[in-house]
Amino acid sequence: MTQKGSMEEFLAMAVDAAKNAGQIIRSGFYKAKNVEHKGLVDLVTGTDKTCEDLIFSLLKLHYPDHKFIGEETTAACGATELTDEPTWIVDPLDGTTNFVHGFPFVCVSIGLTIRRIPTIGVVYNPIMDELFTAIHGEGAFLNGKPIKVSSQSELLKSLLATEAGTKRDKSTLDAATNRIHSLLFKVRSLRMTGSCALNLCGVACGRLDLFYELGFGGPWDIAAGAVIVNEAGGVVFDPSGKDLDITSQRIAASNPLLKDAFVEALLVSE
Amino acid sequence: MAQKDSLEELLVQAVDAAKSAGEIIRSAFYQTKLVEHKGEVDLVTETDKKCEEFIFNFLKQHYPDHKFIGEETTAACGATELTDEPTWIVDPLDGTTNFVHGYPFVCVSIGLTIGRIPTLGVVYNPIMDELFTAIRGKGAFLNGKPIKVSSQSELVKSLLATESGIKLDKSTLDATTNRINSLLFKVRSLRMSGSCALNLCGIACGRLDLFYLLGFGPWDIAAGAVIVAEAGGVVFDPSGKELDITTPRIAASNPLLKDAFIQALQQSE
Repeated sequence: MTQKGSMEEFLAMAVDAAKNAGQIIRSGFYKAKNVEHKGLVDLVTGTDKTCEDLIFSLLKLHYPDHKFIGEETTAACGATELTDEPTWIVDPLDGTTNFVHGFPFVCVSIGLTIRRIPTIGVVYNPIMDELFTAIHGEGAFLNGKPIKVSSQSELLKSLLATEAGTKRDKSTLDAATNRIHSLLFKVRSLRMTGSCALNLCGVACGRLDLFYELGFGGPWDIAAGAVIVNEAGGVVFDPSGKDLDITSQRIAASNPLLKDAFVEALLVSE
Repeated sequence: MAQKDSLEELLVQAVDAAKSAGEIIRSAFYQTKLVEHKGEVDLVTETDKKCEEFIFNFLKQHYPDHKFIGEETTAACGATELTDEPTWIVDPLDGTTNFVHGYPFVCVSIGLTIGRIPTLGVVYNPIMDELFTAIRGKGAFLNGKPIKVSSQSELVKSLLATESGIKLDKSTLDATTNRINSLLFKVRSLRMSGSCALNLCGIACGRLDLFYLLGFGPWDIAAGAVIVAEAGGVVFDPSGKELDITTPRIAASNPLLKDAFIQALQQSE
């Protein structure tokens, strides 16, 4: 039996919360496909909020002294500063567009930082039933089986993931596609799947070799995935090559062998 | 009971072939993840060839008079001309790069043309266990349940799929990214999954609203084209003209989006 207040117990609670929220997403996912109406965006917002409420309630019940940062609460009430206190950082539904369209890449992302260090990560895709978990220092797992990053060492044989982003101003889009254009000469192929947290998990389990994203929503998109990548033997960093700052809305991830070449390619693509 | 040589019986055999080939892919898929070595490209080629041989032998046994066009056989022996004869057009493993990387978007694609018209389509993703099927005039199905395209009518609320392609010359890549840049201003978002056949199935079941691709073979679209059409969607040349399955150009959408999509594609050139 796991000790109260231990990392294993935190993880068990987070998994429970993720699975419950996942069930709500799964129910809403198939309803969205059947019912096409103008309020489609509202439907998602309803599910996002319901999941965030559920996750926060469950975790607050067990850990009333912990802090909480969630995408929906932040949208409603403004940003909460990240402190040294144990802090749950939650994206109740990552892959909102996919959810609306019934594209099966959606997930719950629950991370815990202690002294600002991402320490526990849970990412659950309830449609593909894939549960990614990690505790700092204890490895990374997919549905209970250990996972590790790829051993690809050549950029040209690497599979890269990124996203088109949510901004549609000319300056941002031009920069984004110029970056993609530059990288396409140097990698094997490009994937765009619509979920930042699942992209990080893809790197962690070796399905992807490289990932970067600039201008994602907030720390809730990466707090869990960062732990999972690290514990799978990978590295997460700022695309400039500097240390990752989880509040900066910039991230890159890869296995250790590719990091230097990837940073160089990213710098050249600016 | 399906009558011999009826379309229903042809579908049953095609599904059987796809599922068996899918089993070969599934076994090799998890082995690839464990074993990283220089011969990765060779490994895929072996699975491709093995699946194509299996599918051809299986179908030839039942239908010795039918014609066959397959990606691997074409690569080895040159292109076979498409005639009016019943012709099986097969991609034994679509999503080769995904297979190598353990990325779960791979499939077997088996199409049948009669009089050069795509008439029957089977696409099977053995990793996600999704079987898409269609017979001309009889609807499209995912794991036996009817599917239909989305009812999205606005480009700006649409989910677009395309691929980065396999050519790395500057001219092609410039054109590809310019096209993507132009379209990103007009659609909701972009998905790149790595399998042409599964992109077409994504349109058919409403997960995607728009798809276009330049530069592939008829085996990538012969099955998907039937599935999209039978799900109430439309497949066409990106210029707006009728689809020619022997040319490496395709676009697909629901009927409501077609005109706006063609206009956007033309403006993106």
